[in-house]
Amino acid sequence: MAGCVGWGEGKIREEKDRVRHLRELIRIIRRIQEEIRYGKRTLPEICLILSEYSDPWYRPHFRKIYEQLDRRNGTGLNAVWLRQMAFCFQGVPLQEEEKDVLIRLPENMGIQEETLQAENIGLSMDMLIRKCRQAEETYQNKSRVIRSVSILTGFLLTIILI
Amino acid sequence: MLQEEVLHMFPESMRARWRQAAGQAEGLQEIRLRAQAPAMVLLHNREWFVDRAGKLTDRQPVGAESSPQELEEILAHLCQYSLYAFADEIRQGFLTIQGGHRVGLAGQVILEGKNEIRNMKYIRYLNIRIAHEVKGAADSLIAYLYEKGQVLNTLLISPPGCGKTTMLRDIVRQVSNGTVYGRGVNVSVVDERSEIAGSYLGVAQNDVGVRTDVLDGCPKVEGMMLLIRSMAPQVLAVDELGGESDAQALFTVSGCGCRIIATMHGNSLEEIRNKNYMRYVMNNRLFDRYVVLGKYHGRCMVREIYDGEGKQCLN
Repeated sequence: MAGCVGWGEGKIREEKDRVRHLRELIRIIRRIQEEIRYGKRTLPEICLILSEYSDPWYRPHFRKIYEQLDRRNGTGLNAVWLRQMAFCFQGVPLQEEEKDVLIRLPENMGIQEETLQAENIGLSMDMLIRKCRQAEETYQNKSRVIRSVSILTGFLLTIILI
Repeated sequence: MLQEEVLHMFPESMRARWRQAAGQAEGLQEIRLRAQAPAMVLLHNREWFVDRAGKLTDRQPVGAESSPQELEEILAHLCQYSLYAFADEIRQGFLTIQGGHRVGLAGQVILEGKNEIRNMKYIRYLNIRIAHEVKGAADSLIAYLYEKGQVLNTLLISPPGCGKTTMLRDIVRQVSNGTVYGRGVNVSVVDERSEIAGSYLGVAQNDVGVRTDVLDGCPKVEGMMLLIRSMAPQVLAVDELGGESDAQALFTVSGCGCRIIATMHGNSLEEIRNKNYMRYVMNNRLFDRYVVLGKYHGRCMVREIYDGEGKQCLN
């Protein structure tokens, strides 16, 4: 019975994790937009801020990007960002198109006007918000079902075994 | 240090080419990059081409033309892949990078209305001016800028490229730190074009003294008023005065009991006197010292020093 409940909780945690990552992704993109729009901060500076004010999962990765860009060894943003984001999203329960919003961020850079630049980065925000809402609903519905099913399965298995 | 700074201006893929030029960074004055033209450097007042291998040559090399993509890559690298953060500078045609070096830009201008520059696209010409902080540049001059331990209102006059800003920077540093002629005082600098302090991300890259506050990237008139209100400076330094509003602001600053050290384009005191707005300034004896700078055998030096009445103190 404990095994079944544990399996169920594991499934629920996975869904919860997905919601958490999606929410954090939205928060990160919004923070980047705000820092560009109002602070006119450069991308390395924004990475430094995110290395202190984002979810602990993402912090070391943004720190690393900042350090690599600040070290000014000449490596382009694209290479540094892609490499680090690949590490960052390892084992994260997000779909490819959701990860791509952050992974492909450097492709959306290069606009001289800050408002337009901020908007350009947030082009996929609607999709992310929609996905996040879906994930929240799925989490709420699924968690109830999974919890009930796992407890019931546990009971059933217990009865059968007895 | 300077060698590294020069090398850091270029993306990784181009660094091998620039290693030789960067190796002579102390004498390096300018790097000129133009689309479809070979790169050039100004080294000890002499022009050199840079070939593909990075060798300096006095003959125009074949196949060493910079491509538009290369220039865009360099610009993106200089702007830390954040062009929007440098939009105002790009609009003005230059940007200041780490180390206080200045990058002049030219390309196709996008206008807003008739005269206002909104943006610049197809940036195909870069002129990287290497900043050389010359500590002690004002040593020969500093004795003339004090009277009874007080800093005198001083105007530095010189044509472009004769070391006005370098001189101003060193005066600011010495006045701020204190000299044998007077103790150190609080100095505020309006650094409209980031040339004096060479601020990068808000931090002065050049030594401007321990009692110096820098207002970076702010228009002169607004900057002078803001600093008077907020930082209570004893001395205010400003580069390249150039209009009636600047002159009016000087009177306000002076009226607040603050000393002024400023620079202005010009060849002589006479030329300055012929400008309408400066005539009023001079007649009212706003400045106690006029220092005319010039070049002699390629070296920047103090040519003349006048007192507030226009009498020569040094010739």
